[in-house]
Amino acid sequence: MKPFTYVLPHTLAEAHTAAKKAGAVLKGAGIDLVDRLKERIEAPPEVVNLLPLKNDLAGIADDGGGLRIGALTTLRQIAEAAALQGPAFGAVRIAAGLTATPLVRNRATLGGNLLQLARCWYLRSAAFGCLHGGKGPTCLAMTGENRYHSILGWHDCVRVHPSNLAPALLACGAEYTTFFDGKQERRPLAALFPDEPTAQKAEHTLRDGEILVAIHLPKPSGDVRSTYQETREKDSFDWATTAAAVQVTLQDGTITDASIVLGAVSPVPRPRAEAAKSLIGKKPGDAAFLKAAEMAVAGASPLSQNAYKLSLCKAIVRAALTEVTR
Amino acid sequence: MTTPRQEIELAVGFGKHIEKRKVDVPDGDAPPWDANSKFTVVGTDADRVDGLAKASGRAKYTYDINFPGMLYGVIVRATIAKGKLDVLEVDEARKMPGIAAVVLLKEVGNKVRFVGDPLCAIAGTNLDVIRDAMEKVRAQYTTEEHNVDFLQNPEAPVLDGDGNLIDAWPEHEIGGVIAGAEASHEGTYRTEVQTHSSLETHGAVARWQGDDLEIWMSTQATFGVRGELARALDEKGHKPASVSLHAEFVGGGFGSKFSAGVEGLAVCLLAREAKAPVKLMLDRFEEHTCTGNRPSSLMQIRAAAKKDGTLVAWDTRSFGGVGFAPGGGGVTFPQHYIAEVQKRGAHKDLVCDTDPPRPMRAPTWPQGYFGGELFLDELAGKIGIDPLEFRLKNDGQVIRQEQWRMGAGKFGWLQARNPKPGSPRDGDDPRYLRGAGLASARWGGMGNHGGRTPHGCTCRIHADGKVETRSGAQDIGTGLKTAMAMLTAEELGLAAGAISVFVGHTADPSGPAAGGSTTTPSLAPVIRHAAWLARQELAKIVAQHLGCKPEEVTFAGGKVGAEAAAKPMLSWADACKLIGPNPIETRGTRFPNYKGEAFNNGVCGCQFAEVRIDTWTGQVKVLRMLAIQDCGIVIAKKLAESQVLGAMIQGISYALHEQRLMDKRSGRMLNGDFLRYKITGPADMPPMECIMMSVANGHTNTSSVGLGEPPSVAAPAAIANAVYNAIGVPVRHLPITPDKVLQALAARRA
Ligand SMILES: Cc1cc2nc3c(=O)[nH]c(=O)nc-3n(C[C@H](O)[C@H](O)[C@H](O)COP(=O)(O)OP(=O)(O)OC[C@H]3O[C@@H](n4cnc5c(N)ncnc54)[C@H](O)[C@@H]3O)c2cc1C
Repeated sequence: MKPFTYVLPHTLAEAHTAAKKAGAVLKGAGIDLVDRLKERIEAPPEVVNLLPLKNDLAGIADDGGGLRIGALTTLRQIAEAAALQGPAFGAVRIAAGLTATPLVRNRATLGGNLLQLARCWYLRSAAFGCLHGGKGPTCLAMTGENRYHSILGWHDCVRVHPSNLAPALLACGAEYTTFFDGKQERRPLAALFPDEPTAQKAEHTLRDGEILVAIHLPKPSGDVRSTYQETREKDSFDWATTAAAVQVTLQDGTITDASIVLGAVSPVPRPRAEAAKSLIGKKPGDAAFLKAAEMAVAGASPLSQNAYKLSLCKAIVRAALTEVTR
Repeated sequence: MTTPRQEIELAVGFGKHIEKRKVDVPDGDAPPWDANSKFTVVGTDADRVDGLAKASGRAKYTYDINFPGMLYGVIVRATIAKGKLDVLEVDEARKMPGIAAVVLLKEVGNKVRFVGDPLCAIAGTNLDVIRDAMEKVRAQYTTEEHNVDFLQNPEAPVLDGDGNLIDAWPEHEIGGVIAGAEASHEGTYRTEVQTHSSLETHGAVARWQGDDLEIWMSTQATFGVRGELARALDEKGHKPASVSLHAEFVGGGFGSKFSAGVEGLAVCLLAREAKAPVKLMLDRFEEHTCTGNRPSSLMQIRAAAKKDGTLVAWDTRSFGGVGFAPGGGGVTFPQHYIAEVQKRGAHKDLVCDTDPPRPMRAPTWPQGYFGGELFLDELAGKIGIDPLEFRLKNDGQVIRQEQWRMGAGKFGWLQARNPKPGSPRDGDDPRYLRGAGLASARWGGMGNHGGRTPHGCTCRIHADGKVETRSGAQDIGTGLKTAMAMLTAEELGLAAGAISVFVGHTADPSGPAAGGSTTTPSLAPVIRHAAWLARQELAKIVAQHLGCKPEEVTFAGGKVGAEAAAKPMLSWADACKLIGPNPIETRGTRFPNYKGEAFNNGVCGCQFAEVRIDTWTGQVKVLRMLAIQDCGIVIAKKLAESQVLGAMIQGISYALHEQRLMDKRSGRMLNGDFLRYKITGPADMPPMECIMMSVANGHTNTSSVGLGEPPSVAAPAAIANAVYNAIGVPVRHLPITPDKVLQALAARRA
């Protein structure tokens, strides 16, 4: 990597001031960032390490209104958290536990997982220059090798959003807090991802220097359950080829609320509201799940090499719904 | 001390299949072991002697070698797949801070043959300053149109939409035999490129002292690369006065590390120019793209059988997807089923603009066995005969006949088979389909004596009781060291842990490259011979002390002595005290293999696999595997089993995961890293069992046969057959990834 100034802040405000400087980047555990620096696809003049703020920014606590998960909480802490043991947040726990390898999970932070750069093999290599990377005129995967790319909701770039946690948290109705210019701001998690994920847009909507502080999960009321499943080519760490997080509320054997969010199929995690709505008022059953699965991929437009993902995506929605209502 | 040349009668074979055979044992060789030999160390499951050192990080691999003032080296490589190098300017790079040397590896005007073709190498104080300098190297090319897909080669055969070869078979009478047979079948099979993925990448540390060169290298051919480097440096005008090479620990090779490679030459030249030690280790992308691979293949097979399952004809044509030059793309079909039948085979290598193949564990075999064994299961299905029956009917090898039966019983073959392929087993969730498959393995690996430079081995016994066994050959992880300890311990009546083993230094006696499953069978007789000679030296000294004849001295359980002697047995330590200041030092010799046919010219094996397929997601999960394997007389049981289990894991990986994915436009590999190049990991590994059969071949004093390659031959085929049994349609294209399974399931439904 290229030399850079390394900032170890004492306070959020200090971190924010440093990170606002042109070209500066924030660092959680650095698992994603350091890869990018070593590959030389980025050469920031300044790296602001958030880990010194762990005391304030890591950990899971009930803040009265629900659970607050600090942005520097590790994936392992999330996978094993007592506070997340209930059925309502199964999706979050499972998604964290399935991510990467034990070594990565011991270090990787929630914030870094949600904000990581897409894993497209063209984007991630200094040997290529593509539109999303700001180094080329077109998306190379769209007409190149795209077996692991988007099948849905893509524009001029067919990257997929790589985070396991994003669909899980979205399905569970999470919100997020950031720090910017001395203020903490709280928004629904969907606002963290661009509406129109074009090549020009980043993976997330944070402004330069804006720091993700925490994720919030609402208190479940009633029989709320969630789960997360993904398809892969192998069981030992692998990136999902498709992922589905679902949350349902059951009352007297009927589904009264539902959400379905897809991962690894689009440049952003994709809530499938229509598909989820189709379940409301229904009794759990394979016919309803198949229909919801079908609707979850409605409007998909797979690329030259990834039509197989459609079947996978349907399978994983059906499987997740089956499991969560069991 | 030598024994007269003599004809000895040996018991060869295994189990109930023991035959008497006369062998001509050369003068001076140790008396050969046979099927009746009794061992105390050999054949036991002693631990790997360097296991703890490796697991604890104390073992120093080439990567771990460091010197004060040592520099690093990196190779600058071509970014185009095909063309000519027009400009190569390195002056600016040379002037960058921290840069100590730049050597050119390609001349302007030369061809560029693949992405990664070496251009020059740079040495500097750390990798970051070198990367900065690399950005200043200016290369310009005249590019030519390239192709990285062997099936796009103009000479490639035409395939239909299902991947079947459709060109007519060339005229031959075998066509008539097949057409007129009671049953026949035809199919096209395909495999993808598997790249070399040794955990330790290629590379070396070079240090010159005057004109003497010392080099630490991750290699599987210590003596070969030493000679190669000396010649190459001479050609470059840097003839070394001496070259000594060290490869004490090697993090895998699998066939990719027989040559010093351009990286070996580059590091020596950089160290020469920089006047400092230099370390140059390839990075993972270079390892995937520049150190060879198991090439892709396309195989069409047609064959015929009688209704009772006897094969009558076998006809194949195959294509190998090689790199920029032909060679190395062949496929080997299982010959033991078709020794007696009418057959024909044609092969062609199809070049494309990538790095060329290198040997990879049983080069050419796993491809051909995958195609051949899956084909046989399809044909068996047509005839309506159980695949095991079909094998028993056609397999001409007596060892494997026994192995099939033993394995089938142990595995529960009939219960594991899905009687209705494509339907769930009773009691299973209908989402999942299970099935079982089997396949055979075969290899030679009888070892050799080294030709003009016979292999040697030193054995030393010191007065303090220490025993050394030394070979200059390398242990690439296969376990040579442990075999050396066990063979020496057996001769001296000690425990394996009492022996100090040294390998991988060219100052010690020469040994073979670790390839073709030849290291153990080539060296075991020498190691034993050295220990046997040392034992006789010690026997002489002890006999004098005890007042008995040397022949009467026994070595067992750490005691040395003679029952007939007046004085009591000596402990090993006390016996060694008699040696005096100069240790006993003997040099073992590798005599040629005994004349005449060995019991079985090679080894046999078979493997069984059970799989479960998720019909929703297409993912294949291997539930369990079993291997039955022989390697002559088994020396180190635990290590032999570890070889087989490792090969099964590699086989799962080849069958289900591994494939090189290329960007056709740039000619560059897209998954050249361990994030995207998928290799089977712990969570994918099923319970696996390996049963070793001991077979006395009677071809050397130890009857040992090599084991590196054979177990990797069967595994992918057994898994592919299990998938076929589970879903009822064959997936004829490795790796069997979820997309292909879903496609096969959809095709069956249609
Ligand atoms: C072998 C391997 C396998 C993997 N498999 C998976 C997988 O299956 N699924 C999956 O989801 N991920 C996977 N990952 C990715 C991994 O989860 C992420 O790299 C990791 O979570 C990043 O966390 P980090 O703390 O290291 O982030 P960093 O690398 O420190 O940061 C990542 C990005 O987020 C920004 N950032 C981090 N924290 C903040 C914050 N608080 N505020 C603002 N910006 C911030 C940084 O600026 C940077 O751009 C894998 C990674 C590896 C190495």
